[in-house]
Amino acid sequence: MNKRKKLNLPLLLVIVFFCVYPFFSNFYWIDVAFFFGVYALLGLSLNIVLGETGLFDLGHAAFYAIGAYITAILNTSFGIPIIWLLPVSALAAGLFAYIVTSPIIHLRGDYLCVVTIGIGEIVRLALINNPFKLTGGPNGITGIMRPSFGLFAIDTSIKFYFYVWGILAVFIICLIRLQRSRIGRAWNYLREDEIAAEMSGIDVRHFKLLAFVLGAALAGVAGNIYASKLMIVSPDTFTFLESSLLFCIVMLGGLGSIPGSVLGAGIITIFPEIFRVVANYRMLFFGGALVITMIFRPGGIWPRKREIMALQADEVNNAKDGVKILKAIDPIATTNVPASKDPSVFEKHILITDKLTMTFGGLIAVRDLDLVVGHGKITSIIGPNGAGKTTVFNVVTGIYKPVSGKVYFEGKDITGLKPHQIASMGIARTFQNIRLFPNLTCIENVMAGLHCKMKSYVVSSILRTDTQRTEEKWAFDTAEYWLAKVGLGDMGNELAKNLPYGKQKMLELARALSSMPRLLILDEPSSGLNDKETEDLMIFLENILDELDISILLIEHDMNLVMGISHWVVAMDMGMKIAEGKPSDIYNHPRVIEAYLGREE
Amino acid sequence: MAILLEQLLNGLTIGSFYALIALGYSMVYGVMKLINFAHGDLFALGSYMGYTLLVWSAGAISQRFGLWGGMAAALLFSFFAVGCVGVLMERIAYRPVQKSGRLPLVVSALGASIFIENLIMAIWGPRYQAYPASVVPVHTISLGLFNITAMQLFILILSFMLMLILYYIVQKTTFGAAIRATALDREMATILGIDVGKITLFIFFLGPALGGMAGVMNGMYYRQISFVMGWNYGLKAFTATILGGIGNIPAAMLGGLLLGLIEMLGAAYISSAWKDVFTFLILIIILIFRPTGLIGEKIAEKV
Amino acid sequence: MRKPKAFTWFCLCLVLLFALIAGHEAVAQEKPIKIGLQAPITGQWAYEGEMAKNSVEVALQMIEEKGGILGGRKIEIVIADDASNPRDSALAAQRLVSQRVAAVIGTYGSSVNEPAADIYEANKMIDIGYGSTAVKLTMAKERKYFFRTCGRDDVQGEFFSEYAVGTMKARRIAIMHDNTTFALGVAEEAKRALKQYIDAGVAQLVFYDAITPGEKDFTPILTKLRETNPDIWYFTGYFPEAGLLVRQGRELGIKCPFVGGNAAINEDFVKIAGIEYAKGCLMTQEPMPTDLDTPKAKRFLELYRQKHNTVPTSPWPVYAADALFALTWAIDKAGSTDTDAMLKVLRTGMEGCEGITGSIAFTDRGDRKGIIYKMYAVTDKGEMVVYKP
Repeated sequence: MNKRKKLNLPLLLVIVFFCVYPFFSNFYWIDVAFFFGVYALLGLSLNIVLGETGLFDLGHAAFYAIGAYITAILNTSFGIPIIWLLPVSALAAGLFAYIVTSPIIHLRGDYLCVVTIGIGEIVRLALINNPFKLTGGPNGITGIMRPSFGLFAIDTSIKFYFYVWGILAVFIICLIRLQRSRIGRAWNYLREDEIAAEMSGIDVRHFKLLAFVLGAALAGVAGNIYASKLMIVSPDTFTFLESSLLFCIVMLGGLGSIPGSVLGAGIITIFPEIFRVVANYRMLFFGGALVITMIFRPGGIWPRKREIMALQADEVNNAKDGVKILKAIDPIATTNVPASKDPSVFEKHILITDKLTMTFGGLIAVRDLDLVVGHGKITSIIGPNGAGKTTVFNVVTGIYKPVSGKVYFEGKDITGLKPHQIASMGIARTFQNIRLFPNLTCIENVMAGLHCKMKSYVVSSILRTDTQRTEEKWAFDTAEYWLAKVGLGDMGNELAKNLPYGKQKMLELARALSSMPRLLILDEPSSGLNDKETEDLMIFLENILDELDISILLIEHDMNLVMGISHWVVAMDMGMKIAEGKPSDIYNHPRVIEAYLGREE
Repeated sequence: MAILLEQLLNGLTIGSFYALIALGYSMVYGVMKLINFAHGDLFALGSYMGYTLLVWSAGAISQRFGLWGGMAAALLFSFFAVGCVGVLMERIAYRPVQKSGRLPLVVSALGASIFIENLIMAIWGPRYQAYPASVVPVHTISLGLFNITAMQLFILILSFMLMLILYYIVQKTTFGAAIRATALDREMATILGIDVGKITLFIFFLGPALGGMAGVMNGMYYRQISFVMGWNYGLKAFTATILGGIGNIPAAMLGGLLLGLIEMLGAAYISSAWKDVFTFLILIIILIFRPTGLIGEKIAEKV
Repeated sequence: MRKPKAFTWFCLCLVLLFALIAGHEAVAQEKPIKIGLQAPITGQWAYEGEMAKNSVEVALQMIEEKGGILGGRKIEIVIADDASNPRDSALAAQRLVSQRVAAVIGTYGSSVNEPAADIYEANKMIDIGYGSTAVKLTMAKERKYFFRTCGRDDVQGEFFSEYAVGTMKARRIAIMHDNTTFALGVAEEAKRALKQYIDAGVAQLVFYDAITPGEKDFTPILTKLRETNPDIWYFTGYFPEAGLLVRQGRELGIKCPFVGGNAAINEDFVKIAGIEYAKGCLMTQEPMPTDLDTPKAKRFLELYRQKHNTVPTSPWPVYAADALFALTWAIDKAGSTDTDAMLKVLRTGMEGCEGITGSIAFTDRGDRKGIIYKMYAVTDKGEMVVYKP
């Protein structure tokens, strides 16, 4: 799958340099390097939240503070050794993050930003005000001990240097693994397009929380290390300026870039030290430097490079064989035998809506709709713009909760379920205005559909267990297959945003199909395509209908396509169903013509 | 009762400062989707500008034109000076970065903020400065139940006037409609023939200019200024913007006033030390239940 | 794959540059006597740092006027900025240690001083604090190398309580602080000293709360204060807030005497409060330079005014200057910059050392000996004189 890495000489040199550096430098610069390490940890911790997941966190210093203070309090009050407090700090910070971000995790961008600022300030002020005499007030807590492994204590600058960089190295490896796993991809998906991610089966809320918790835990570790080096913690370390600096670290380095965050930390720590010669104007230069960097290098100094995942084209040329491969290796799809109340109904109809109604404010978008989608058939919904067609899709897929009425899929009531739940039950969709993940590669886009079919979580991803590896390979192979199937076999490593429009539509289709849905919902699949491309699409859809156990529901304006491949057509106008039947019946239906063209005077 | 009225009055006064600064935030956010972190520092800059005019002219202006003349001069001077700085800032720090997306803009704004704050320190020194008592009116007016100072009255009247004027411009004029259109959909506005460049110029002049005036009023009211004063006010004003609903100009004004009131009441009836915690908690709770602010923004997302 | 390679090399170059600078510093040699000054040159307390720097420079000028030390050897002040936060403080301390200064004057702020003091202690370098008054600094653990020329929170706080109840016969005491390490320290000590009077039924603590520094509007808390009807109002915070508090408080109708701690009342306070409210305010203060008859104090003020058109507006910069006097005395008497010799002098050989604030000597814990507080009052002209009740 991933090419075996050739021996990375520059990286090796850097590592060697870091190892020998303390032996030819003075304590001051070793200490600077120590803080570099701490800020690298902090930068990486914020990178999880901001870089990978795109959550606008400007209060990250709060988690840093929690880790530092928990260490300080437990160590000075109960004498618990610092080393034991490392995981405790991580846990405390993570737990705190879970509790405070759960109620606000649904907030959008800038609102989340202000709330995180608020959380940061609340923590800082609470620390100053010394509630229950726990935190030592503005003076902070002094007398924190040094970490020790039995008799070996970490008490010199050099030892602290290796201590922090050692821990950092371990975390870097874990983070890289996490980044390249299902979890990392899920974060990136939700950063790129939350709605598309949700529709692909990713529990967006869960992953956002996960990002915060892990980010906080790592910040907590940094807090512990900081506390044990300085032997004092005080509130003036954990200000909004600090959180802004962390933010700048991630941005300077490059969003979602692990080496970038480390580099950013280096710049933030070393830059002011180098400029101490212009003491008074240090910060002036710093402010100016930030602006200049954003003008010339907005993507960061070391932006994330999406991995080139090697494609093995030969395996996937033969479609039929491909299907066999899929059926053989897809562990979950075949075992998911749906239960049903009335098998006979289900046999015929895979999706049923019962008096579905949806309103927005005073506007009734969908009114008492009874829709029936035949199993193994292609059903089209047509109607003038504003008829409510996309709204129906949005309700069926869980993006909106209907005001009244029900939706049944394979006999099960899915009304009001969340989109990712519906997606994992076997429904996939495409969008009217394409919703891809623009900055990710094509193959990564397609792999999104497989997210809900995979099971590995944080620990197995970090440890790269056998199950996880097999799963990853399976996902990769499946995605490759589908890319080839839609004709994008050689574009796997292209960024989605670089594709021409037509190909982007096919990519979205591949993503939807990769999860082997039993109901495929397509919103105006042919819009923007020329005649030839539309024909190809028609053939493609008919083919997959034959090959797979799938039903298709689509919205269309292109009558050729509708008439060409539909088995059943439903016409809507003003939120209501005005006619349904075989294509030929609908074509000449007076009500339908009236809806499109107006009544003849 | 009298105390309550006093507190309310104080809350409104502080709220006026927040509101004027919040206006600047909201306007800029609406048009550029940028949280202008440097805005609070422009407020501080305005305060220093007014101080400079009054002190370096050795009170000559006040002597020639009277007390209120001196104040008017300081206000106008600050209005124009800070407005120009705002436009300059947009040209240098924001326009080149705008095409790169929202997050780089934030970093640029943070950088601009640090730069301006330290610039103030470099020019005027790190010492606290004070508006001399001789250039500011100090009488108190008794209004039956409670007292109000001349400064307070002046600030309230001026702030409300400014807010009303701005409200009128934004909501009732064609130009205001153009501003709102640009805020909703910049690309579309360009296609429709709206001169987005002119709108940006207007926003980045007026927002900071208002903030600068607020700075002078603040300086005259409290008489004490320092280069770090921008940050605190900026943060509060930003909070007020969000409270009202970002991008919505009238809502920002309301958010500012409301925040001032909440703060004062919190300090009076809960505790001074925990006042800011209280304010932020209120904000968070409001956002949990109304995720787009109290009045809400006017942005729809099509799926 | 081009980009990543280029960047890796770019980073390597950065790292090498960094190493070069670092290595160069490690090798630097020194010839004049270097004395370190750790101060907040940037950050929130930049004005304190600036004044400290200016004061030390003036003190240096005074020393050179008198012929210098060790036969006229040049003295160089090496400044390290700690930006008033603990992390930068640790780095600043390390920096001074690496530059092998003879001793350090520093710093301002007790929580900022803590990590620095630890580093100096570990490296056996003498540190004389000038703006850190927390009792903990000298009492919580053994610090052989730490001294301070400024007072301690408990001495000032005790003085206030005794004076207020004993001399001014106040019954209802209100204490206000601002939750910073210094102000809280003094307030806590004042409260503690008050306890004996409370227990004896002679006085009551009717108000004890904090304002938020950096704020400007204190009417809610002042209203609360007014309602407790105090006989005396003690504010232990800093002059920016003190000026506003007095003005707003008087406008709200608080009539009792206002007493500031030694960081609250100065020239700027008078400016901010306005003379009509500032006059009559009291403060607990060590003897002011303007008060002392010593030639040093006069000369110091004269030189400072010449150079900067003003005098220091807080007590701490003057202590920084005195720290320089103490150190140079020690070096001169020891005959060298050997730390152990200097230590001996600082411990037992300070007889005759005169600073701006009077005789300089240290207790066995390193605290300044003989700081006496007095109650001062602001006159109609905005000057500070000893208060006569």
